[in-house]
Amino acid sequence: MEILALKHLTFSYPGQEQKAIEDISMRIRSGDFVVLCGQSGCGKTTLLKLIKKELAPHGNLEGEILYCNKPLYKTDDRVSASEIGFVAQNPEGQIVTDKVWHELSFAMENLGYENSAISLRVGELANYFGITPWFRKQTQTLSGGQKQLLNLAAVMTVSPKILLLDEPTSQLDPIAAADFIATLQKINRELGTTILLAEHRLEELFPAADKVAVMENGRLIAYDSPRQVCMTLKNNPISAGFPSAVRIWQSLEGKNECPLTVKEGREYLEENFEPSLCNHVSRKSDFGIPFIQMSDIWFRYAKEEEDILRGADVTIHGGEIFCILGGNASGKSTLLKLIAGLRKAYRGKIEILGKSIQKYKNGGLYRHMVSMLPQDPQTVFVAGTVKEDLLDICGIMGFSKKESENKINELSDRLSIGRLLDRHPHDLSGGEQQKCALAKVLLTEPKILLLDEPTKGIDAYAKLSLKSVLAGLRDDGLCVVLVTHDVEFAAENADRCSLLFDGELLEALSPEQFFSSNNFYTTSASRMSRGIFQDTITAEAVIAAGRAQWKD
Amino acid sequence: MKHLENNAFSRFHPISLAVYFVAVMLITMFCPHPVILLLSLAGGILFSIRLTGTDAFAKDCRFYLPLFFLVTFTNPLFSHNGVTVLFFLNGKPITLEALMYGADLALMLFGVVFWSKCWGAVMTSDKLLFLFGKPFPRLSLVLSMSLRYIPLFKKKWQEIKDAQTALGCFSEGGFLSGIRSSTRIFSALVTWSFENTIDTGMSMSARGYGLKNRTSYSLFRLKRRDVFFILLTLALAASAVVGIATGALAYIFYPAASVPQDGSAILFYVLFGVLALLPFAEETREALTWRYLLSNI
Amino acid sequence: MERLTPKKAIGYSIILVLIPLFIAGGAFLLENRQYVWISLCIAVLACVPFFAVFEKKTADVRRMVVLAVLVALSVLGRFAFSFVPHFKPVTAIVILAGLYLGAESGFLCGALSAFLSNFFFGQGPWTPFQMLGWGIIGFFAGLFSKPLRKHLSLLLLYGGFAGAIFSLLMDVWTVLWLDGSFLFARYAALVAAALPVTAIYAASNLIFLLLLARPLGKKLDRIERKYGL
Ligand SMILES: Nc1ncnc2c1ncn2[C@@H]1O[C@H](COP(=O)(O)OP(=O)(O)OP(=O)(O)O)[C@@H](O)[C@H]1O
Ligand SMILES: Nc1ncnc2c1ncn2[C@@H]1O[C@H](COP(=O)(O)OP(=O)(O)OP(=O)(O)O)[C@@H](O)[C@H]1O
Ligand SMILES: [Mg+2]
Ligand SMILES: [Mg+2]
Repeated sequence: MEILALKHLTFSYPGQEQKAIEDISMRIRSGDFVVLCGQSGCGKTTLLKLIKKELAPHGNLEGEILYCNKPLYKTDDRVSASEIGFVAQNPEGQIVTDKVWHELSFAMENLGYENSAISLRVGELANYFGITPWFRKQTQTLSGGQKQLLNLAAVMTVSPKILLLDEPTSQLDPIAAADFIATLQKINRELGTTILLAEHRLEELFPAADKVAVMENGRLIAYDSPRQVCMTLKNNPISAGFPSAVRIWQSLEGKNECPLTVKEGREYLEENFEPSLCNHVSRKSDFGIPFIQMSDIWFRYAKEEEDILRGADVTIHGGEIFCILGGNASGKSTLLKLIAGLRKAYRGKIEILGKSIQKYKNGGLYRHMVSMLPQDPQTVFVAGTVKEDLLDICGIMGFSKKESENKINELSDRLSIGRLLDRHPHDLSGGEQQKCALAKVLLTEPKILLLDEPTKGIDAYAKLSLKSVLAGLRDDGLCVVLVTHDVEFAAENADRCSLLFDGELLEALSPEQFFSSNNFYTTSASRMSRGIFQDTITAEAVIAAGRAQWKD
Repeated sequence: MKHLENNAFSRFHPISLAVYFVAVMLITMFCPHPVILLLSLAGGILFSIRLTGTDAFAKDCRFYLPLFFLVTFTNPLFSHNGVTVLFFLNGKPITLEALMYGADLALMLFGVVFWSKCWGAVMTSDKLLFLFGKPFPRLSLVLSMSLRYIPLFKKKWQEIKDAQTALGCFSEGGFLSGIRSSTRIFSALVTWSFENTIDTGMSMSARGYGLKNRTSYSLFRLKRRDVFFILLTLALAASAVVGIATGALAYIFYPAASVPQDGSAILFYVLFGVLALLPFAEETREALTWRYLLSNI
Repeated sequence: MERLTPKKAIGYSIILVLIPLFIAGGAFLLENRQYVWISLCIAVLACVPFFAVFEKKTADVRRMVVLAVLVALSVLGRFAFSFVPHFKPVTAIVILAGLYLGAESGFLCGALSAFLSNFFFGQGPWTPFQMLGWGIIGFFAGLFSKPLRKHLSLLLLYGGFAGAIFSLLMDVWTVLWLDGSFLFARYAALVAAALPVTAIYAASNLIFLLLLARPLGKKLDRIERKYGL
């Protein structure tokens, strides 16, 4: 049965010439798992919101949406509330009440369920999602992953027929993200719930999906089974964001079936290539002078709380991109805050360019020295438009008017945010905010650049431009510290990687050593090519090795 | 404050608790009889020690004792009623009765203060919201959201401040630049909170808020023990009202301090004493039971 | 018109008969403290109609959220500017809530802010009076929103007076509570003791109104346009 049908859907935001959605027609069958992907700003969020009528943004809408063959905007409120569930990108924004149990019962209260029915359902779901241990907790105290799980559970209480999810895993570490997707798959399989999910991290999703919808500039350019989409979009730049197996297959003149999972990718490599275990890659190993020296750092947020960092040691040099990985709540952001002088370790010493961090007075640390892109890009903006924000920081850095204009123009070209300059920062899509915040941080022209998850919510193309920006900075002798959950990006860009675990930074290794020795905290390219090629941890490396190793 | 959630008295149903606290506080506020006030203060202090420990009480004392004497000894400066003149100050009589009345006032003040402290510790926000939610469901939801937002915004405030500091846009040095920087961040916080919390509103409607026939769910169940407790409270409180109405609990300070000599007053003292000491007794009983049960393991 | 069900009839009779009886009985019983009793009852009951009206309104969720945000911000403002003692934007935000969201929202913002901030500063019999006091400040700001919005000077005047009068009235109640009648000497002493705090407080009202009035209005406008409130 067809649960949802879009017919020539077109939408534009008020006062915006460009259409956010343009002439989209698609049908979704009941029980399907559909993945929606495309560049950031292509209209994924807008499309999902249009399908949930209570969330439909203001603007000019043409075309029609049919839910179970009836116009969506005319369905009963009660039906829409209970049958269409929505989980948004930002887990925090959706939580309504202050207690976990109340959040779970909220939707059922609204629909007028009896107390006994609510008790039973809430109990059942809390068990299913493993929420029982924090059932009576304050919603505020939950971790990001727990919040996202709570959102999903809260929506599931009224047994929706279709679930809409907007980048639900963008803030989760790779392992938590995989768990979350597994839960979704379980719901899809066991309850027959239809799922429509927008995402940039597709590695785990393609194998799970029944259908993939690809959008570009508000248009739907492909809508088919994952394999079919990979075949048809073979030469499209959009495929840069596809799973590694697909990209490898596409670049190596893939024949036959396109592999989607690590297992299939491995089979494909084994069948078509001669194993070669000699090392081709050599990465930089001599770095400049030490920029950041941390020794034996201990930190906790409050006296009565637990230690977050327990004796972290590290030395990071100029001309180096240093990448810190680690699970949710392992203390990565905390570590960056310490380096940026925003918090003080209660024990241990941090030296910035050979000078103790406490000796920098009156904001001297932030004058062309250290600059940080925080985890939430929205905290960077203070003005009414992106341009004003950028000019503001130029003023503080003491650039002249002319200089400022030049710098802003050059940066906005490099990050392709030119058309966003006159918009309100909060009107941008998640990925666009990320890029604009980065621009503001880069304008401070620091010697040490700290980036907290700069790639979340941005598309493969933007990652490429970020890559070139970072490489440029490194070559200028800057020190870049990168915190990320994006193992693919780390593997491609880092000079050294380190895992933050149990409050300590484990020994920093080159990405090749780091990712080839990990089994779970690693890239799929590495898992796929292990034992076939040596130290090929990125799709590009596998492709390069493959080119040289064709069978016959 | 974690251990508070688990004490015996706060496990009563919110309605029982509210009835109890309101009864005790009203009697304390409106019955000026020193014996009643002393009993009330004793009950309040003992209960608050049970709740927050002796250390917190010692700290309170350091703050309240001077205040106690301040209220007692300044009252004669404001009030010159009374017949027993102790001495003259600036030509105005300072009377023993006014001094006694001052002490009585201080007793009442601190009785109410300590009971309010206990109320604050026991009536956590979810209990108040439950009480409020019956007659005013929409308001109680607004309160519940605000309660969630306060720590959230506090965290956001810190995050924005951090972000701006790391960009070199924040300085706390100096009064004016401190206020300017803080206002800048406050303004960013206001923008952030409006933009993001509208999402919350949307998420509420998305989950069916605003449909007719809303029910309200809670984890609180009225048990037999609660009903018994409410009846007991009401009976004891009624006895105090009878005492006030019949004049047995009357106490007159001016012009001369006098206690109505009535044997029945003793009965009223005892009954109110039981009421005021109920929470402390319940806590102690529970603690003893626990010790006994644990010794059996 | 809604039909009068037995349940409702009972409800109304409680309001119409029992409450006056309750107050009169209390006043009669408590001879020398009757003013305290009556004022306490009035403070509690005066809030009820505002709350009831809010309940009756058809659910406009977004307005509820905006109200919740303003309440939270006004409570939080105390922490944000804690580096200057007694310097807090509560009254300013309550006034602005009345100004931009209407008299009723102004009242609610004030009353709820008082209620919530006492979670952190201690609940007690003074809570209903603070609720009523701040509520009324927001309410009148809403009633006179037209002139107040037009002339910044009027707004500042209102803000300064509202803050001062609020403190003065709270002291009146403290005196009433202590003595059962109004003792002027005690009142004067209280006011004198609180004078520096009241002065900082009034000044902070002015400063925050000056700093926040325009931007907050702009932000609310933007939200209104973006989401079509
Ligand atoms: N409230 C708004 N007002 C005006 N324009 C908007 C608004 N929200 C989004 N847009 C614009 O509409 C386009 C589509 O945005 P949308 O949020 O749907 O993108 P997206 O595909 O979800 O991107 P991302 O992957 O970065 O989240 C973008 O160009 C964005 O700037
Ligand atoms: N301001 C704060 N006050 C108290 N505890 C905090 C604060 N910020 C973070 N924490 C706690 O410190 C721990 C580490 O948090 P941190 O944000 O550094 O983790 P992270 O590694 O960056 O996680 P994520 O990958 O989810 O961003 C968490 O348990 C968190 O709850
Ligand atoms: Mg999006
Ligand atoms: Mg982090």
